[in-house]
Amino acid sequence: MTVQERGAYRVIGQGIPRLDAADKVSGKAEYADDFHVPDTWYGAVVRAPVACGKLKSLSRDPAFDWSQVAVVTPEDIPGNNIVDMMGRDMPFIAHDEIQYLGEPLALVAAPSLHVAKQAAAHFKVDVEERPALLTLQEMVAVYKEDPAKLHKLSGQTIRKGDAASALKDADIVLEREYTAGHQEQLYIEPQGMVAIPERDGTMFIHGSMQCPYYINPELCETLDIPPEKLRVKQSAVGGAFGGKEEFPTLIAGYCALLALKTKRPIKMIYDRNQDILYSTKRHPSWSHYRVGVMKDGTIRAIECDFVLDGGAYTTLSPVVMYRGILHAAMGYRCENVSIDGHVYRTNTFPNGAFRGFGAPQALWAWESLIDELAAACGMTPDAFRLKNCLHEGDVTPTGGLLRDSVGSPEVLEKTLERCQFAEKWQQCSRGKSGERLWYGIGLSFFAHGSGFTGDGEARMKSKVALDLETRADGTPIVNVRVSSTEMGQGTGTILPQVAADALGIDVTHVDYPMPDTFKVPDSGPTVASRTAMVVGSTIYSAGQKMKADLESFVSETLFDGQPTELVENQFRAEYDNRSIPFVEGAAAYLASHGPFRVYDQFKLPDYVKWDQENFVGDAYPAYAWGCNVAEVEVDTLTCEFRVTKVTAFFDIGRILNPVLAMGQVQGGLIQALGYAMMEKLAIKAGKYDADRMQTYVIPTSVDGPEMDLHFVEYPWDHCQPGAKGVGEAPMDGLAPAIANALEAASGVRLRDLPLTPERLFEELSRSQRLTA
Amino acid sequence: MSTKTPTSFEEMDCAFPSSLAEALDLMADESTRGRPLAGGTDLMVQWESGVVNRPERSISVKGLPELMGISEAGDELVIGSGVTHMQLRSSDLVQKHVPSLAEAATTVGGFQIQTMGTVGGSVANASPAGDLAPSLLITEGRVVVANREREREIPVTEFWQGYRKIDLQPDELIIRFHLPKKSAESREYWRKLGPRRAQAISKVMGSCRGQVLDGQIQSFRVAIGSVAATCVRLTGIEEWLLNRPLNESTLAEVEKRVTEEVQPIDDIRSTADYRRWVTGRMVRGFLENWLEPA
Repeated sequence: MTVQERGAYRVIGQGIPRLDAADKVSGKAEYADDFHVPDTWYGAVVRAPVACGKLKSLSRDPAFDWSQVAVVTPEDIPGNNIVDMMGRDMPFIAHDEIQYLGEPLALVAAPSLHVAKQAAAHFKVDVEERPALLTLQEMVAVYKEDPAKLHKLSGQTIRKGDAASALKDADIVLEREYTAGHQEQLYIEPQGMVAIPERDGTMFIHGSMQCPYYINPELCETLDIPPEKLRVKQSAVGGAFGGKEEFPTLIAGYCALLALKTKRPIKMIYDRNQDILYSTKRHPSWSHYRVGVMKDGTIRAIECDFVLDGGAYTTLSPVVMYRGILHAAMGYRCENVSIDGHVYRTNTFPNGAFRGFGAPQALWAWESLIDELAAACGMTPDAFRLKNCLHEGDVTPTGGLLRDSVGSPEVLEKTLERCQFAEKWQQCSRGKSGERLWYGIGLSFFAHGSGFTGDGEARMKSKVALDLETRADGTPIVNVRVSSTEMGQGTGTILPQVAADALGIDVTHVDYPMPDTFKVPDSGPTVASRTAMVVGSTIYSAGQKMKADLESFVSETLFDGQPTELVENQFRAEYDNRSIPFVEGAAAYLASHGPFRVYDQFKLPDYVKWDQENFVGDAYPAYAWGCNVAEVEVDTLTCEFRVTKVTAFFDIGRILNPVLAMGQVQGGLIQALGYAMMEKLAIKAGKYDADRMQTYVIPTSVDGPEMDLHFVEYPWDHCQPGAKGVGEAPMDGLAPAIANALEAASGVRLRDLPLTPERLFEELSRSQRLTA
Repeated sequence: MSTKTPTSFEEMDCAFPSSLAEALDLMADESTRGRPLAGGTDLMVQWESGVVNRPERSISVKGLPELMGISEAGDELVIGSGVTHMQLRSSDLVQKHVPSLAEAATTVGGFQIQTMGTVGGSVANASPAGDLAPSLLITEGRVVVANREREREIPVTEFWQGYRKIDLQPDELIIRFHLPKKSAESREYWRKLGPRRAQAISKVMGSCRGQVLDGQIQSFRVAIGSVAATCVRLTGIEEWLLNRPLNESTLAEVEKRVTEEVQPIDDIRSTADYRRWVTGRMVRGFLENWLEPA
């Protein structure tokens, strides 16, 4: 199957305004904290005072007035005290071992937040403290000594060819280490949830989340209720970036357990301080490479240890690591690849999902190393990449075939040409003494696997529904029924665009109600840049089915059986040119048959083969491709530097809404700029030191560089409309491009994120390149 | 005094006097005295985050007419303690006579903070990273404080006594600042190094006022923030520079001497090593400005 040309679409590809824009700018949109249910009590968490230890006892201060406070301890949990995520190693409420500072020891609720917080502060906790392992640096030090001394949460290998022997044949072998630290999602709206116990025994969870069908079923085991008694509905979400992927199950669980105990609605809204301290972060990473190249620039062998700091429990870490290792040698031809991925426990809050999901960490190291390899071969970074980059028909490190829709090398070539890389590369300062400003340009090139990793999509079997229903005003409306959430990225606009296009109607006839597990099928979580590709294509085919059914109804009932087509809002009869508006035909259908639902399910193409145990085959059905060029200026008076310009091309497949797609790229690049240059969390006495927006520094609008951004469209061939996802790719490549540019400017290489003036100063001092 | 610490703003007792006299009356008596609250841009955050306990009472001095206004008095500017950062940065008088102060005010927080925060509040907060402090220090002006009975003048250079410690009695309020104008021949410069380009608390920042005639340094005052317990004047450097030629050997030497004079620390925003080095570089950068036409 080949996708249609862009011109074949009417609504897809249009930069229409967001459908939720009016509600959001007028304040009508309802966020979790906007729900005011009568009789609601407020929840708070009693937290462990140490990062590692054994809980000996938990008691209440008798001087405090407990009459207006409900308390939940592990004994109050109806089901199993386990968070039903990977590893099944995390208790909902700790009762014995404490694995991170702030781990829940009990839950409290009271009529006011103030009393709830006071109550939480009036527990006496007796713990036997043990030495904690807190940082990536400590973890790597132990790993180098003896990995067996660490608590392993997950491991996976990739093997292709014979890397060990091939390394011996290489002309040049580089061994390098790179690290990256925590990153906080820092969505505008903090975590928030409401749990309402309904009279019929249903627990209604309503709040800020990315994935309603994670909470159901994950909470069923803890609450001991069947899935049909757990209703989960998304409220308006003020940003998520992965931070509301798996975490909301925890806060939803706290609310639901307290709601069961009190038989009242319970609300919990984290303040910024709690949110930073007690929610997920991007995994800190350590990448250790040994790569062999030939003098002509051929990559002979890649050996890589990719190690993630998982935090206290397994949660999603294995999958984050999988995506990491699948990107750790991606993008270039090499016959001999050996990658070992590991996740180890540290005593911090479990690290979790964050835009890019392991790929930014892997690509930070890999794309920095590519520049070092090019230099070792005496080649320029652009020439080395052009020589080695994957083309259509090449195979990936897991032996997957790049069959079609391969935006490489076009994104690379176009970016290089657009920013005049070759000329500017010659003008880089390279630490020349006596100059007040140093200039540098740097490059990164990468692929980002679209959709779930490995067998994820095959297991997920994403389902969607379209409902033809009657609006309150009596007019027909097509409602998109999916569990894919609008969290600011535009799902609530692009999916109606896809449905409208498939149906042949305007987007004004399509709506996207907030996902509610009592009304929508499981389309999978809103993660992994999968929504536009997987859910979008399934909606497209559901829309085509609905279109065909409506056409045949109108044909038979109104057009005497003539072939009828729904185009541009009109049902048109083929022979006598009669036509009626969509609303009229749809209203006739509704009057005759009542509401009409069409289901569809995503199916991977048969050629996608994947061996989950050995990591062999097509790790992803398609890839987005990107190339980023950063230009930097270093003030040699202070070692401060700024990115003056970013030039980038992305192939994200078919573009559904160019304005929203560009918004994703711009926002993602700014978030990547923060990851590259500013955002850092140190751990002091078991606690993140930057626990407020004053101290956790992200870029402001004036920190953003000039951006010259473009798309090329290589639609995924397997289904209409052929999108490949844009959410994460913009997060992947900017950090290494900046580090590469910084080396071109200063002559020194920084191998630890974030890249700061302090680090540049240290390296320049060490190499005695500080200039007057 | 009650021993109970309020845990929320609602539990605090707040007085809203309508004149300075009324405010000083409240401050005079222990039973009515409270923590003076101006824009609240420091205190509100400190209370909410628990860094500082909430006082039992606070007295709002925000907008008291006697604390407002920027005017000239001979060779001095007189700036009311209730003047906001936004008013400072927008004032023609400040831009002309103490330009580094106007420039520093533009870098405090964002527009919201600049609109609420006041010069008196910033001085009272006594943070070593207080952006206005270096420019006040280099004017060698005076802080005027008052209680119900009298006014008292303190040289700015003596007002900050240590980390978050100021020369202010419990019954006193900061009223205004008298800042000697720069001469027509002198220039001022300001620079702030922060973790980002706006809305940042500094790693190092500072101001200078100086005059160079025919390549010779006639006068030079420089103050630096975020490198010690208070913002500091580098008086040893200032003395050493006096009457020296402004050339590369002076610049190299001053850079070295500054790094020997400051004792910064490692903290969440930067490292001691970098701060020490970059303070020297910043002072060099200040002086290099005179090598170019104004």
